[in-house]
Amino acid sequence: MMRFLRPRLRKPVGIALFGTVYAAAWLVHGGNGWQWAITAEIGVIAFAIAAYVRGGRDSDEDALYGSRADERQQLIAQRSWALVGKIAMFAAFAGVVAAVAARATWWWPFAAILAVTGFGYLLGLSNYGVGEEVPGDDANDGHQVRFPVSH
Amino acid sequence: MRNRVREQRTQRGLSQAEVAAALGVSRQTVISIEGGRYLPSLPLAFAIARFFDMTVDKMFDPDDEEAGT
Repeated sequence: MMRFLRPRLRKPVGIALFGTVYAAAWLVHGGNGWQWAITAEIGVIAFAIAAYVRGGRDSDEDALYGSRADERQQLIAQRSWALVGKIAMFAAFAGVVAAVAARATWWWPFAAILAVTGFGYLLGLSNYGVGEEVPGDDANDGHQVRFPVSH
Repeated sequence: MRNRVREQRTQRGLSQAEVAAALGVSRQTVISIEGGRYLPSLPLAFAIARFFDMTVDKMFDPDDEEAGT
């Protein structure tokens, strides 16, 4: 996504795009929503500029902002996103439990987030190859598999 | 797992930034590898070994507890 942009611009442009969509939602909201839209857009532009500036600095986090992370930094980012997913899932579960216990009607947003995070986990398993039936070289060839001798 | 990255780098009088630039990784990653806090991927391990004209098993030795100290 956004490969056509220079690496350092990718995160700031992404932040600006998502933030602008959020600000647009306030405009569509109507009433005094335009005030919130302007406030959100100012905040988003400031965040995008900060992300661009940080993208040129020399640290792990700044390398991620600059979309120039090496393998270790990418691993750190993957672990962080995995943690985000786990926390979102547990928070959604806690929300559903609390709503059910309180006999509240607001259980369904939590249930929706729980379903989406669960689906995302299954999608991840599917995308990254879990469950693939790939026979090994030794499968069904009539030879006995030899294991290394341990001393 | 210990490694000889720091030892080889200092023998050659190179900075961590120079090694990082040559390997195409960040300076922080070189620091982490030297400190044993990060095990590089196989391609990066080969790149490190080649950079220092060593074999991977000489550069990264799971049995050698004293290497790199």
